[in-house]
Amino acid sequence: MRCERARPAGGDEESVTLHTDHIVGGTFVAFGALVFALSGDLPFGTLSFPGAGMMPKLVAGFLILFGLLLILRARESAPVATLAWGDLPHAARVVAITAAAIALYQTLGFLVTMALLLFALTFGTERRNPLLAAGFSISAVALTYLLFDVALKTPLERGILGY
Amino acid sequence: MGTVESLLLGFSVALQPDVLWYAFLGCLVGTIVGVLPGIGPLTGISILLPATFGLDATKAVVMLAGIYYGSQYGGSTTSILMRIPGEAASVMTCIDGYAMAQKGRAGAALCIAAVLMLTLIAPPLATFALRFGPPEYTALLVLGLIFLAYMSSTSLPRTLLMACFGLLLGTIGIDNMTGHFRYSFDIAELGDGIGIVPVAIGLFGLGEILSTPSASVVRKVIAPRLRELLPSRREWRESAMPIARGTVLGFLIGLTPGSAHIISSFLSYGVERRLSKHPEEFGKGAVAGVAGPEAANNAASTGAFVPMLALGLPTGPITAVLIAALMIHGVPPGPTLVNEHPNVFWGFVASMYVGNLMLLALNLPLVGIFVNILRIPYAYLYPLVIMFCIIGVYEVSHSIVDVWIMLIMGIIGYGLRKFGLDPAPLVLGLVIAPTFEMSLRQSLIMSNGNWTIFFQRPIALTLLGLCAALLALAGLSLMRSRKDWRSRLAAAEAGENP
Repeated sequence: MRCERARPAGGDEESVTLHTDHIVGGTFVAFGALVFALSGDLPFGTLSFPGAGMMPKLVAGFLILFGLLLILRARESAPVATLAWGDLPHAARVVAITAAAIALYQTLGFLVTMALLLFALTFGTERRNPLLAAGFSISAVALTYLLFDVALKTPLERGILGY
Repeated sequence: MGTVESLLLGFSVALQPDVLWYAFLGCLVGTIVGVLPGIGPLTGISILLPATFGLDATKAVVMLAGIYYGSQYGGSTTSILMRIPGEAASVMTCIDGYAMAQKGRAGAALCIAAVLMLTLIAPPLATFALRFGPPEYTALLVLGLIFLAYMSSTSLPRTLLMACFGLLLGTIGIDNMTGHFRYSFDIAELGDGIGIVPVAIGLFGLGEILSTPSASVVRKVIAPRLRELLPSRREWRESAMPIARGTVLGFLIGLTPGSAHIISSFLSYGVERRLSKHPEEFGKGAVAGVAGPEAANNAASTGAFVPMLALGLPTGPITAVLIAALMIHGVPPGPTLVNEHPNVFWGFVASMYVGNLMLLALNLPLVGIFVNILRIPYAYLYPLVIMFCIIGVYEVSHSIVDVWIMLIMGIIGYGLRKFGLDPAPLVLGLVIAPTFEMSLRQSLIMSNGNWTIFFQRPIALTLLGLCAALLALAGLSLMRSRKDWRSRLAAAEAGENP
């Protein structure tokens, strides 16, 4: 990724490579500023009696400081263009399926949700044989249920269906 | 009570059949967790944390610690048999271990020497730490953070940035001193703050899975026979001194925050190559090249227990989760632990002697089974890990908000890895945030707002002096921009053989 710096008054156009530390530093500077914005109602207090806002504001200040330091020294980091994003689609699918499982967990309970999660990941994401994936999902969930709920006496979520 | 009497008390606890059973269970689970790529000790401990709720504190911590040091053994199995470093600390073992494919077990046996050091050092350190007040704790925590940043393989600002991020996350929830709600956004569950377990599992468990596409995991496993695993007399002779040196080096480095396992195995390998009469054998199956780093790696995990038990300070995310586990069981680790809960402290120390012997007995005959575990395709393995992550997080507090936090942290962990940021300082920052804030504010209140209190007390002044020295050293290194051991460490963490 390359961005163009504004053309100097009578000079040539100069291109600037975006480095990973530009992104990291910029993100944390913005995050630090957001913390300051959200801390408006938290009192800083005084040195003799520090308030609830002292620590977050102090740390947010350091966050901005270190973020700026990173931006200043960003040339030492790798260019953003060199980052490999080939694993992003796989990661996005895993996140989406996991998010769905979390959303359904308390409603459907452990047995149903986890069997669906395992099946979706092995069949949907990994393109394994559907029968094999179903067998794996059901047996793995059943064994885990026996291990936690029966052997370790740690009750797992039952959901509105009661199992 | 003297050390010997206390240790005898510990053995009387550790040798009870039920405590022995939980130590064995921890070692077995730890070995499996270490062997399986994708599930680290942190995930293993976090997943099994809810299963310890019905146990007393001694059994719980004995089992969880067994998972920790058991995973160090298991991790070596992966690197020796598959040439895949399960974690960065095993990189050095890969180099000669795979070439030998059987000789690394000896190093692990001598981990007991490191446990002996823990026995001798932790109690006097805890007694000394009883002198600490809020200013000393503030200075100690600052030193811990700066030491972590200095020892880290990434740059100082990057590590401190991550630590600050963790500290900020640690301020979420009700302020203990004034009752103010901070950044809870009317979500009741956030009133208690963000738990260590969802953050740790998200960053290290889920984050690792998201960064590892299943197509990239290719396995080629060597299956050794039992008699090949036993070192010959010559190998024992050759490995004795590397093991001794590795143990001392690993234990000392394990006391410090940061990447102790990686640094200790890295340094041990370098020391052994330098001291060896046949340095040309390194990389082709040198006994010392496996025994030294393995002993150092194992001793570092024992050394990490000293600041955890004696000072209540985590040196890494794993000890941070162990501290959380102890606190859940109503046993706050720190200087008072030895006197107020001698059964827990000494029972735990004694169980480590027993546990290390168990691991040795467990690893030799069962290596064939562990090899078969390694053959589980990653496409089936990682869905299981995700399921265990969800169970582990949910069962701690039965809060679905925690599971969502885990998912968000998993995504953040993926991003951090992508941009080369180390998530460990984030977890450390999160863990120490409440203590750090409380001791800082208490120090200022007790001095009536006089910030020079930190320079008026000798212990705090000494600790801050050490901070200044470390910062000066780091600044010097930044100015010279010279490639030093940290650059090589970063290469090792990235999986490149030095």
